[in-house]
Amino acid sequence: MTLDFATLLPEIKPWVKGLTALWPVPLIKSSSWAFPLILCSHLVALTMLGGAILLPSLRLMGVGMTREAPAAIEKTMRPWLVIALVVLAVTGVLMGMVNPMKLYARPAFLVKAIALAAALLFSFGVVRSIAAHDGVVTRPAKILAAIGLAGWLAAVLIFGASFGAAPGMFHVISVGWLIVMAFGSRLTRIVLGAITAMTVAGVGIVTYVVYNPFDNYNIVMEINRWTLRCAAVVVAGFILWEFTRARPSEVAAPPLNRLVGVVSILAWFTVAAAGRWIGLGTSG
Amino acid sequence: MFHDLLQWLQDVPGATGGDPSTSWSQQFAGSLHLWALTEGTHVLSLMLFAGTILVVDLRMLGVVFKDVPYSTLNNKVLPLTIGGFVLLTLTGLLLFFSNPVHYYHSVFFRAKILFLLLAAVNIFWFHFRVQKHLSEWDNQPSPPITVRLAAIVSLASWLLVIVFGRVTALSFFECESMKPTTFGYAFAECASLMRPAKEAAEGATTSSAAEGEPKQ
Repeated sequence: MTLDFATLLPEIKPWVKGLTALWPVPLIKSSSWAFPLILCSHLVALTMLGGAILLPSLRLMGVGMTREAPAAIEKTMRPWLVIALVVLAVTGVLMGMVNPMKLYARPAFLVKAIALAAALLFSFGVVRSIAAHDGVVTRPAKILAAIGLAGWLAAVLIFGASFGAAPGMFHVISVGWLIVMAFGSRLTRIVLGAITAMTVAGVGIVTYVVYNPFDNYNIVMEINRWTLRCAAVVVAGFILWEFTRARPSEVAAPPLNRLVGVVSILAWFTVAAAGRWIGLGTSG
Repeated sequence: MFHDLLQWLQDVPGATGGDPSTSWSQQFAGSLHLWALTEGTHVLSLMLFAGTILVVDLRMLGVVFKDVPYSTLNNKVLPLTIGGFVLLTLTGLLLFFSNPVHYYHSVFFRAKILFLLLAAVNIFWFHFRVQKHLSEWDNQPSPPITVRLAAIVSLASWLLVIVFGRVTALSFFECESMKPTTFGYAFAECASLMRPAKEAAEGATTSSAAEGEPKQ
């Protein structure tokens, strides 16, 4: 399947092509250090985003700084989230304007755009609302959460189904896996850990002992694709099982809040992972 | 210094029939997705590692969470930072292994390692000197100057580690494009990298002159 802006909006192609002629692209291209500076700023702002979204989201999940109110954490980190997003947006737009046709044809960029909308909705619509209402999920917050969840799921489906970007889903699945392994119950960790060990061993044996990846390229790739799909379903199942239940032993973190915390982390991480796979992946 | 060892690491282990392109290092570097996934994991782990360091350093500077004791914040956040560090180190070592000679002779990679060492020294200094008096400043909204200094050194060195790491991936100031008299050429020990090329060029000239036929 190929789903990218080039297929969705073929009529804007001349406009996309013309972006390189606009200010300040010629300026950036004529300088040897401007583009590296933009790349570095984008990465530094990305790390800032990591800290700014992690703490409030974890608090909603009932882990981390549980002695503080969710509102205090969300409010403290919000300015840093905004600074990070402004720098990411400015540098991101400039990077896109320097190489517009690349982004136009990359499914990873479409994934990133959709996931970004969902993640923004989560941070500023849902997480902020829940924190401000002292953990209560209001009706508008529920509606926004449902829209954000649908958007994120759409982004993830395109991510996994696009030939040139699908391997990048490994990162998103890994983060879901890490969240379950770090914050799940003991039993969950043992079961998921055992499933993971068996999968890695099984796929390793099938790939390198039964088949030789150099001689059976297509078979091995098909095995990898199905392993990734199954892993996505298994990890999603564990997240639902683990984070849609109230845990009486911890601070008040109702099931819905916990789920919002997890999805908010996953949505932002999908934006970042898809962003990296604009460069690492291919078109189509 | 380690040029020959790393050249061996890149060419020999895993190689069949003495063919360097079949070594583990070069197979990994040429893999379809494995290298890209390792690189992606390395970059994305920064969100966990540097993002959490930023929060703790800002607390040490008295900028955020002023009413939360430093130790409370640190105890909750440090496990996340350590998790990020483990991921970064593992993927970083693998990435180095994929192209050891190139990274060893990269100006930016060397600068990155220098600031990584500075960050490490700062951590030890902070841990053994400053944190000894933790109880005195733990609850202070704005900790004393030594604590703030440690936070500034930490932020600056990690920022430079990230920046130099990012530009290592760009083809700037590589041995092939630098003049032998520059600081960068000496700093990256380019002479040992360029030696084989130079000898090959000289060898080709002498042998072709001796045998009277062009050689490639």
